[in-house]
Amino acid sequence: MNQQRIDGGARRAVFAPVDNRARVDAVVRRIGDAIELGLLGDGEQLPGESELAGQLGVSTVTLREALMALRQQGLVTTRRGRGGGSFVSLPEVPGEERLKARLRGWSTEELRDLGDHWAALSGAAARLAAERTEPEDLVQLRRTAAELAQADEAAACSRLYGRFHVELAAAAQSARLTREQVALQTEVGALLCLVLGDGEYREEVSERLRFVISAVQDGAHESAREPAERCVRESTARLIALRLTL
Amino acid sequence: MGLVTAMLDKAPEESVAARVRSAVETVFEAVAATRADTTALLARVAAEGRRPATVDLAALRPGLHLRLARHALVSGVGFVAAPGLLTDVPAWLEWWQTGAEGDVRPLLLDLDPEHSAYADYTHWDWFALPRDTGERAVAGPYVDYLCSDEYSLTLSAPVEMAGRFAGVAAADVYLRHFEAAVMPMLHQLPGPARLVNARGRVAASSDPRHLVGSLDKGPDFAGALATGRTARADGVRLIPCAGVPLVLVVTE
Repeated sequence: MNQQRIDGGARRAVFAPVDNRARVDAVVRRIGDAIELGLLGDGEQLPGESELAGQLGVSTVTLREALMALRQQGLVTTRRGRGGGSFVSLPEVPGEERLKARLRGWSTEELRDLGDHWAALSGAAARLAAERTEPEDLVQLRRTAAELAQADEAAACSRLYGRFHVELAAAAQSARLTREQVALQTEVGALLCLVLGDGEYREEVSERLRFVISAVQDGAHESAREPAERCVRESTARLIALRLTL
Repeated sequence: MGLVTAMLDKAPEESVAARVRSAVETVFEAVAATRADTTALLARVAAEGRRPATVDLAALRPGLHLRLARHALVSGVGFVAAPGLLTDVPAWLEWWQTGAEGDVRPLLLDLDPEHSAYADYTHWDWFALPRDTGERAVAGPYVDYLCSDEYSLTLSAPVEMAGRFAGVAAADVYLRHFEAAVMPMLHQLPGPARLVNARGRVAASSDPRHLVGSLDKGPDFAGALATGRTARADGVRLIPCAGVPLVLVVTE
C-alpha cells in the first residue's frame, strides 16, 4: 500500500526530466555575455539550431528556449525562410541598461558565491605568487595596473582588471588556478563594467592592485593574500549593492 | 678503451647535463626547421616585390604538422609574426597544436585589442627575448594562458626578413612531458637533483624540497650559465647544460 503510493506520484517525479531551467539560463548567460563583450558582433549569424545545441551540449528544446529569452532581451533576432536563422542584434538601449538587465539575472546569493570563489582563487594566487615570485613576474602585473589607471572606458577597464587576476594566477605558477580564473573572468567581466564605470572606484581599484603587487613583491606570502581578497570583496560588494537597487 | 675511459672520467652530473641538453636540442631542431621554412617563404614573397599576408603563411602548415607528429616533446609549433609584418591583419600567430585526442589543430586567437585584453603578445619572453637579443631563447617554465593553458617551456628563435626582425619561430613543450623526458636522467644521479632556469625557477626536480615551479633564491644561476663552467655555492654544485639556459643543481 505504502509502496503503491511511492510508486505513484512521488516516484514519477523522481524520474521526470531534470528541471531544464538552469540549463536555459546558462545558455542565455553565455551567449548574452559573449554579445555584451563583443565576442559576437552585431549582425553576426549564429550557427544553426542543431549545430549550436550540439556545441553547447544541450538539447535543441533547451536551446530554443534560450534563444526565445535572448529575443526577448533584444540580443537576437530570428529571420525565417531562405537566408534565415538567428542573428546577433545589439539593441539601441544603452549598454549600461542592458548590463543592468543581465545583473538582474543574478541573485545576491549567486553574486556572493561568485565573489567567494573569486576571492578564494585570487587570495590563494597572491599567496603563492609571493612565495614564487621573481622580479620578471611583476612586470606584467605592473603594466596591467598602469594601463588600468589610464583606461577611461569601463569595458576596457574591466578587461584589464580581469587580466590582472589571470596574470596573478600565472605568477603563482599554477595552470589550474589560471584556468579557473580565466573561466571566472568570462562570467564576471561583463558585470564588472557596471561598477568600473565610476571613475573614483577605478582609481581605488588601481590603487588596490598596486597594493597587491607590493605585497607579492615583499615575498611575505601570508600577508599577500589579504589585499587580493579585500580587492575582490570590495568589487563583489559593489555589484551586490547595485543589484539590490534594481 | 679510450671511449670507456672518457666516460668514466666524466662526472655523472656532467653526463646528465649533456643528455638534458640533447633533449632540449631536439626541440630546437623543430624551431630551427620552422625558422628556415619561414625565412625562405618571406624571402620568396619579398622577391616577388610584395609584402606577406596570412594566406602566404599557409605554406608553412605541412612542415608544422610534420614537426608535431615527429617530435614527441613538441605540443605546439609555429611562427608568430611581428605586428605590422602582414598586410591583411595587425598581428598573427600561425600556430598549430596537438589536441587532447592527438588531433592537430590551429590556434585561433582574438587579437583585436577592442575585444581582447590579450591581443598584444609582444611582451611575452618567447617573443621579446629573441627580438631583443637576436639569439634563440628558452622561456619558462610559465603558465601559458595565451595559447595552451598549460605549464610550459617555449623555445624560440628570431626570424628576419630583409635584415629586419619579422617575428619568431617557436615550439611549446608542456612541463609534464619535459619532466617525463628528463626525470629518468635525474634519477641516475646518486642524490636529489633539479634543473633550474637562469632566473632560479625549477623546471624539473627529483628533490621533494624543491618543487617544479618554485624559486631557488640563493645561487647565481645566470652567472654559472654565462661562464659555462661548474660552480659551487651554498652546499650545492651548479652544472650548466652548455648551450641551453638550464642549470643542473646537485647537493654536495
